[in-house]
Amino acid sequence: MESILLGVGVTALAGALATVAGAAEDTESNIGSQGDPNSQVQLAPQMGYIHRIYNKAVSGEPPAYGLWVTIGAGVAWAFMATGMNPVLAIVIASSLAIFVQGVYAATAYLGRTSSLAKFEQPVYIDLLKSVTSVTMAHAFVAVFTTVSMCYLMNAALGHPFPLPLLGIVWGIALGAAGSATGNPFYGKERQYQSQMFGAGVPISASGNIVRYAEAGQRSSLDNGWFTAKLGGPASGVCFGLIVFLELWRTVLFEEAVGGWGAIIVGVIIILIFMIIDRYIETWARKNYGPYTNAEEASA
Amino acid sequence: MSALGAAKGGGEGINPTASIIGIVIIIAALAITAVMAAPALVAVIGVIIGGALVGFGVHFVPVGGAPAAMGQSPGIATGVAMLAAGAGLAGLFGGAWAAANPAFGIAVVIAAGAIGGGLMMAITCLMVNIVYIFGMGIPAASGKVAKDPITGDSQAEYKSQGTEGHGLPFISYVGGVIGGLLGGAGGTLIYYELLQVYSAMLPAMFNASAEEVLPIAVSLAGIFAVGMFLVNAVLAAYNITGTIEGPHDPKFKRFPRAIIGCAVASAVCGLFAVLIVVV
Repeated sequence: MESILLGVGVTALAGALATVAGAAEDTESNIGSQGDPNSQVQLAPQMGYIHRIYNKAVSGEPPAYGLWVTIGAGVAWAFMATGMNPVLAIVIASSLAIFVQGVYAATAYLGRTSSLAKFEQPVYIDLLKSVTSVTMAHAFVAVFTTVSMCYLMNAALGHPFPLPLLGIVWGIALGAAGSATGNPFYGKERQYQSQMFGAGVPISASGNIVRYAEAGQRSSLDNGWFTAKLGGPASGVCFGLIVFLELWRTVLFEEAVGGWGAIIVGVIIILIFMIIDRYIETWARKNYGPYTNAEEASA
Repeated sequence: MSALGAAKGGGEGINPTASIIGIVIIIAALAITAVMAAPALVAVIGVIIGGALVGFGVHFVPVGGAPAAMGQSPGIATGVAMLAAGAGLAGLFGGAWAAANPAFGIAVVIAAGAIGGGLMMAITCLMVNIVYIFGMGIPAASGKVAKDPITGDSQAEYKSQGTEGHGLPFISYVGGVIGGLLGGAGGTLIYYELLQVYSAMLPAMFNASAEEVLPIAVSLAGIFAVGMFLVNAVLAAYNITGTIEGPHDPKFKRFPRAIIGCAVASAVCGLFAVLIVVV
């Protein structure tokens, strides 16, 4: 009974860490413009729209976070093998991983932006100084929480994978969940804030991203502020639910029905999510209704 | 001939010559395994089946890439290989956990992996629709079919002007879950088969007990499973070329080609994975 209680407690803690990780990951990727919407940031100068948006998408979020979390987990594992306190090891290892992230971000911004020189897009050194450190800070939160979560899975819940391997698995899953959930909010809702609410961006508007703020030019930090209101928390809830439910069903039901207990519970959870999805899909169709032409709407 | 004038890449059909070469490579890989590591033959066959499952599963996952991030096309706004890898690896996590319990047979282990991947996709797809509907006020609409094949909902009138659709219609949601199930099962099968080989062969190789080499066996099998998963996910992504809405998308019909390609790649990778403990 005590081991189950401990397992549930650790599961809750891991789920909470994953939630923070998902929110920090999405906000970091939006400030650094690393998700799929960066195609528009890269395209804008080619269409004649010069901007001050950071641009570090030389790889997708999943492989990038796979790398940073694995460096954090691997170095922490090595420190712990020398007898270092786990908390200290994870903090120092995450910090070292973030230096790699900082080098990645700085070189990616310089490379991506200087490739647009023939379209007269400048490289802003003040942007490099101010935004890189903010992405590093957010990445530290994401990497530290994910490595801590992996450590709990290995040390407290007894998962057979060593810490670096858990880092690869959950680093890639963190990037996948964060980019899947957060990208549309950053892309459609923030970069194309001038377009109509409640409709997709017409393909003809590609590249015409919003470049001006209330005062002066919009910066990537403004994008992080905006997406932290919904895209970030939604990504956090997504990754937190994945980690929590995966652990919860295994910790509580693994031994039931000859090993099939956790699998049956998993099927039930999937069906519940499917019903919720169908409910909100029909809710949206009923409440928002079909699209009407702009002329009809204004008439 | 200029690049612009070249024939459209990809196509739908199966290239017979390439397929025969692929089958010959698979047979050669199996023959080499049979000669050099006969006890691992079943494992390599398992790895090939696992790789084909991953390749097939990736075709179910609705991926919209950059256009989906702007609400210009349906699907999840990330890359095919990346999302499939995320789901498959979450499945591998669950499968490896079940495999660590000696009381569980292969059926429980594979099912645990499948459900892990399916659960990850079920949650991710739901959150995508929540962001589209409640964050952006956009209902789901497919650009590839007039009616959702499962629910029968008409799609065209819910599609905003100048786009190919947006969000995840129910058929895409179900496709995502099926893709996660197949990916998780395939990745776990690769891991399980390699774990059996390494657990059996490493003690003699290191002259140590089974308990002592178990962490090495788990790590080796795990890293090979992750690597092979990425190989197969990327191969399938090349077959899809860009975006896919799910099982109702015309591109889905290309899957037999990916199964052959993934089986060949898995046979060669599986052969090397086995040979490192034999040679």
